[in-house]
Amino acid sequence: MPNAQILVNWLLIGSFYAAVALGFSLVWGIMNIVNLAHGSLLILGAYVAYFAFTALHLNPFIGIILAMLALFVVGWLIQYIAINRVIRAPLLVTFMLTFGLDLLITNLAQQFFTANNRAINSSLAGVNLTLGAIVIPVQNVLAALIAVLLTAALSLFLARTRTGNAILAVGMDRDAARLMGINIARTYALTFALGAALAGAAGAMLAMTLQFQPVDAGQYTLFAFVIVALGGLGTPWGALAGGLLFGLATTLSGSIQAIGPGLQTTVAFAVLVLVLVLRPRGVLGKAFYS
Amino acid sequence: MATHAPARDPLAGTGAAGVRRESREWLWSLLAGVAILAAIALVPLSGDDAALSLWTLIVMFCVLAQGWNFIGGYAGYAAFGNVVFFGIGAEAVALTLLNGGPFWLGLLLGTLAAGLFAFLLGLPVLRLRGHYFAIATLGIAEALGELVAAKAIGGPGGEVSLTPPDLDFHIANTLFFYGFLALSLLTLLGTAWLARSRFGVALVAIRENEEAAEALGIPTFWYKVGAFVLSALPTALAGGLYAYWFLSLQPTGEGGVFDVGYSVSMVLMTFLGGAGTIVGPLIGGIIIEYLVQTTTVAFGDIHGQLLGALIILVTIFLPQGLIRLVRELTVSPAGVKLSYTRRFTEGVRRVQRFIASNGI
Amino acid sequence: MSSASSRPTASSPSGSPDATPDANAAPILALDAVTKRFGGLPAVDDLSFAVRPGEVLGIIGPNGAGKSTLIGLIGGALAPTSGVITYAGRAIADLPPHRRAHLGIARTFQIAQPFVGLDVRDNVIVGALFGRRGLRRPEAARVADEVLERVHLTHKAMLKGDQLTVADRKRLEMARALATNPRLLLLDEVMAGLTPTEVAQAVELIRAINRDGVTVLVVEHIMRAIKGVSDRILVLHHGRKIAEDLPDEVLADPKVIEAYLGERYARQRAAEREGAATSAATGAATSAADADTDAAEEPEWKGGLA
Repeated sequence: MPNAQILVNWLLIGSFYAAVALGFSLVWGIMNIVNLAHGSLLILGAYVAYFAFTALHLNPFIGIILAMLALFVVGWLIQYIAINRVIRAPLLVTFMLTFGLDLLITNLAQQFFTANNRAINSSLAGVNLTLGAIVIPVQNVLAALIAVLLTAALSLFLARTRTGNAILAVGMDRDAARLMGINIARTYALTFALGAALAGAAGAMLAMTLQFQPVDAGQYTLFAFVIVALGGLGTPWGALAGGLLFGLATTLSGSIQAIGPGLQTTVAFAVLVLVLVLRPRGVLGKAFYS
Repeated sequence: MATHAPARDPLAGTGAAGVRRESREWLWSLLAGVAILAAIALVPLSGDDAALSLWTLIVMFCVLAQGWNFIGGYAGYAAFGNVVFFGIGAEAVALTLLNGGPFWLGLLLGTLAAGLFAFLLGLPVLRLRGHYFAIATLGIAEALGELVAAKAIGGPGGEVSLTPPDLDFHIANTLFFYGFLALSLLTLLGTAWLARSRFGVALVAIRENEEAAEALGIPTFWYKVGAFVLSALPTALAGGLYAYWFLSLQPTGEGGVFDVGYSVSMVLMTFLGGAGTIVGPLIGGIIIEYLVQTTTVAFGDIHGQLLGALIILVTIFLPQGLIRLVRELTVSPAGVKLSYTRRFTEGVRRVQRFIASNGI
Repeated sequence: MSSASSRPTASSPSGSPDATPDANAAPILALDAVTKRFGGLPAVDDLSFAVRPGEVLGIIGPNGAGKSTLIGLIGGALAPTSGVITYAGRAIADLPPHRRAHLGIARTFQIAQPFVGLDVRDNVIVGALFGRRGLRRPEAARVADEVLERVHLTHKAMLKGDQLTVADRKRLEMARALATNPRLLLLDEVMAGLTPTEVAQAVELIRAINRDGVTVLVVEHIMRAIKGVSDRILVLHHGRKIAEDLPDEVLADPKVIEAYLGERYARQRAAEREGAATSAATGAATSAADADTDAAEEPEWKGGLA
């Protein structure tokens, strides 16, 4: 494989990984919740986009918007009904709660949507630009652009809007924010809903570019965690940096013969444990969202 | 101790009374645990093979939860990968048997290997806190399982089939049942010892406030490593027993010996019973595994959904565990004498407040 | 356990056991050119001072002066970026906090850090079980009862760590530190947020602890309290030492007044006093425009200035 092709593959998969981690990073950074249901929300988003395409014959890029809207509602409800009740509890409680949610959602998805592998085969799938020996799949490029766009949009939303500022304020100091008149329960619900919507977008991109099935959920939660650990909890851009770094690790390890296939998780965790031990705050990380 | 308590203040004796109450609670917990295990010991008398294998599994999960309680309940570290010790114990027995070695050697090697692994792993990961520790331990368990599968240790895909022990089927199963039961009793006694030792006090202090514990002279890091090793030992023994009892092993996937589901069960059972209590994991283990096994039989298709819903309900409504719930509902606060009904109604109020205090 | 090797029985090895600080004795604690940076910004900057056995050294400074960082450096929660910290003749900058506790350094936390799941008495027992003494259970319980009596918490021994008022939390911090049987006690704002009566009690308690031969380092915001309890006072500003002297001298020092109350007030004071201090204060006051007028309206040294 020419080096330039590796570079292209890396940028495409890295941007996708950034999208996978974006919502996870937001929820963790603002509410200190490691959302183990992130992967299953992402898969739900993939199904929304998939059925929008197969049943409603909508353009996959409209599917992304639909997935975001649907997951926004799901995320809001989850936070408002369940997670808000344990938000002050010790870490393991929220950990277990989101794991329970993951188990419930994954199993429900398997029950209703079956364990079959799915993928969107739109007219764009398989359309490639070729530059000499380099193959550039158009659909992946569009998905990568959307991932970068979402990162920028989230960053702007947090920095420039009143609501975004309220989210940041709650993340920095919940009690001070309450005294400023911010409704914490609603802000949390909004934050989680945004996180879920971003997971839904990533899921829709997944459906466009790769195959998926319900049990893949755990893998994407894991990826999100590794990416955030790599990029740090600092900003939405941390997720992008982490995604690119993680993409680099998987792209390189995939092209190294000695490691071989079937060890993607092992590589992810080897990278993770190294980062955690050497740089406990991530490669670019700051202590919290700001 | 009571004689040293200052006598001027009318309430001054409460400190010593607290100690008496605690040691009474300690004794009752230990006796309750032994009584539960003694009652379970009668299961083989029924002669029912299905009941025997059900209760063998239940007791095994109790051991796993009891093992997790050392690091997760007492030290308060969110270990999410303790299944790795189970897997190491199982793999050690499988590999020893496949190479013609005796069962006891496999158990011994597995326990030593798991203890050593916990020690070496603890050196880096016990410097991590909170979520980072949880995910690092989770990841190491997943990675090790994947490695066993990818490197085909013990067979293609890491799958192993063992020859059953040269014994009558029923006798062998009964022996395995009592093996797990003895292990659970041993872990119970170990927990009871821990609860009264300096080691246990240090772990609780670490759980409640690690920085303060360190400042008061507790070598927190080494105590955490100790707790991690301690939790690895019974878990690895259970894994070794499981391997020779179940005979067919796979590293990953549902029911695999490195499956994260085991880690989740350990946490859930300990939470339901009461983390950092002597009998909590035992009670939680019995309730959850009994429910899981019977619902799997009755509603095989949706037992995953049921388990997920159960986890959600337990974490929202019973985060302090059944043992502490019983304590809240029966014990008067601060040594004031109240009637049983008052105690109960006050207790209900306290529990409601406790649950509400977790939310916003 | 591991504390067995470091458990001397005498309360004060190099200094006199009574409360009078001995000016000629070797210092129990000495900092030499200690610097602590957080991401490039120095919180403690090239700081050197010594504490004599048996004395009470007060440390004051405005918010962000590096007081709590200093406590962290001596207690071991933080490692210095550079410099040497010597305790009882031995370099301790590389020792973890628990080893320093075994050697006899005890600290309190500015924001109380109780073991919230344990009751007050068990909180204190932990200090006695470990700390410098490393007692067995029964003795530890006896020590805990004595210490609780001493800080007036006996009647709250059964309450949980999070059921206490601010004042009682501070008392619990003191009690836990005392239960370790320290030779050097580091008190991080134990009087902040207390009523005047409670402050008086705390001052009396610190004096009594000191009379027992314990060297005390008091970090405070409250001027009046620290003046009453300290043998000497050291003033930190932006991580640097700007004064170290007897309490009256320090509190009259224009540099100190300026650091605390802003430049305009410093000039007023200087003008009132005239004399030599005038030129020093006004010389520094080149930009009076952003002087801290709010603080200047409070001429007395009273209350927390935060």
